[in-house]
Amino acid sequence: MKSTKAKHPFIALAIGALLAAPALGDWNEGGGEQDEALHLTPDLENGMDVYEVCAACHLPEGWGMTEGTFPQLAGQHRAVLIKQMADIRAGNRDNPTMYPFALPKAIGDAQALADVVAYIEQLPMTPEWGKGPWPPGTLEYTKGEQLYKDNCVQCHSETGMGDVEKFYPRINGQHYNYMVRQFEWIRDGKRRNANPEMVEQIKNFSNDDMLHVINYITHVPVPADQLAESVDWKNPDFD
Amino acid sequence: MKKHNSLIAVALLAAGSFGSTQALALDGAALYKSKTCIACHGADAKTPIMPNYPKIAGQNAAYAIQQMQDIKSGARANGLSAAMKGVMHLVSDEEIKAIAEWLETL
Ligand code: HEC
Ligand code: HEC
Ligand code: HEC
Repeated sequence: MKSTKAKHPFIALAIGALLAAPALGDWNEGGGEQDEALHLTPDLENGMDVYEVCAACHLPEGWGMTEGTFPQLAGQHRAVLIKQMADIRAGNRDNPTMYPFALPKAIGDAQALADVVAYIEQLPMTPEWGKGPWPPGTLEYTKGEQLYKDNCVQCHSETGMGDVEKFYPRINGQHYNYMVRQFEWIRDGKRRNANPEMVEQIKNFSNDDMLHVINYITHVPVPADQLAESVDWKNPDFD
Repeated sequence: MKKHNSLIAVALLAAGSFGSTQALALDGAALYKSKTCIACHGADAKTPIMPNYPKIAGQNAAYAIQQMQDIKSGARANGLSAAMKGVMHLVSDEEIKAIAEWLETL
């Protein structure tokens, strides 16, 4: 994907931040609309209206596509959703396909952003997300499990739930291909809003390591009370 | 109609390969929605989300097919087409044709 000229200053800034401060970095400067949206009381009814346009790609259920083009949004932490929207809008995370939908014109003001993410957060997750090819019992699974324990637990937690307070995304229940793509982009510096500590942690991961560790997390179960009762569940709000 | 999204996604996954399966009857109008075209070009194919995105309702099918294929392959590439290129792996040649024929009737 090509980035537009207007984004180049951001690339420079992001690379500068990565080089200058690998341990701290300003991957999450916050401020402005991001903070505002985080502190507003959401209106779910309006959130549903705003979500309608998102549903064309992320599906009415918020489940995305198992093959990984569109991530599952359902169940993701509110703060993470808000940060990603703000980053995409600011040109800090390339997403040419979704870019127009992250603009204030499409979503509305900070209140509307708060509303739509609150709506998304309460959607039940798909019971059948895209899983990696190696089930428990395989050598690849075991390798991934060890890599996960050694490199990821401190931020994404034992179960892959991440950390709401720190803007660490949950990665359990997310589609395999989507996560492989993100991981690769984070490792190789293509996803500019990445957390510099994560970049440091994974910089020596080979492609196989990457596939194994992501495979592992896709086989970690998601708590049943966060899942829809069946893969055939349809979001009644959009009937 | 929104229901079709997930049904089609599931059916395609079951079939194993994206974009090339012929398991479904090709309904241009339904494909237009399920393949996300609706998000950018609007429900009526003439109210795009951005003023610099094209209206495509009523366009000649032969022309539209060529443009879609060129955007998919990258032969037509500019800052704007990058947005659409991100979804074009979701449609096969047959599906492109079915959508184009439906668009022409609008
Ligand atoms: C035209 C298709 C399209 C539409 C419409 C769309 N998105 Fe997206 N969205 C994507 C794609 C593609 C990605 C993944 C990009 C990537 O691989 O980096 C994405 C990623 C995201 C992410 C990041 C998820 C994560 O785990 O980091 C969020 C949040 C998101 N979208 C929210 C929304 C919201 C809210 C709307 C509606 C206002 C919306 N999207 C509309 C295509 C779309
Ligand atoms: C120092 C903390 C930290 C460590 C260690 C870490 N991550 Fe992350 N990870 C993050 C943060 C923060 C983000 C979100 C960055 C942003 O805001 O864009 C993220 C994003 C991700 C994403 C993209 C999620 C999405 O929805 O787009 C994946 C996949 C991921 N991490 C997997 C891993 C794996 C696997 C490991 C171990 C090999 C790991 N991370 C280690 C903090 C960390
Ligand atoms: C993410 C937004 C987006 C999505 C999704 C999208 N398009 Fe487009 N489409 C565009 C943009 C932007 C252009 C203009 C590209 C350019 O300037 O070269 C375009 C151009 C076109 C054209 C050429 C119009 C002309 O007059 O030359 C056709 C036909 C078309 N789109 C059909 C579709 C179909 C069918 C789909 C679904 C399979 C689709 N688009 C999905 C944004 C999108």
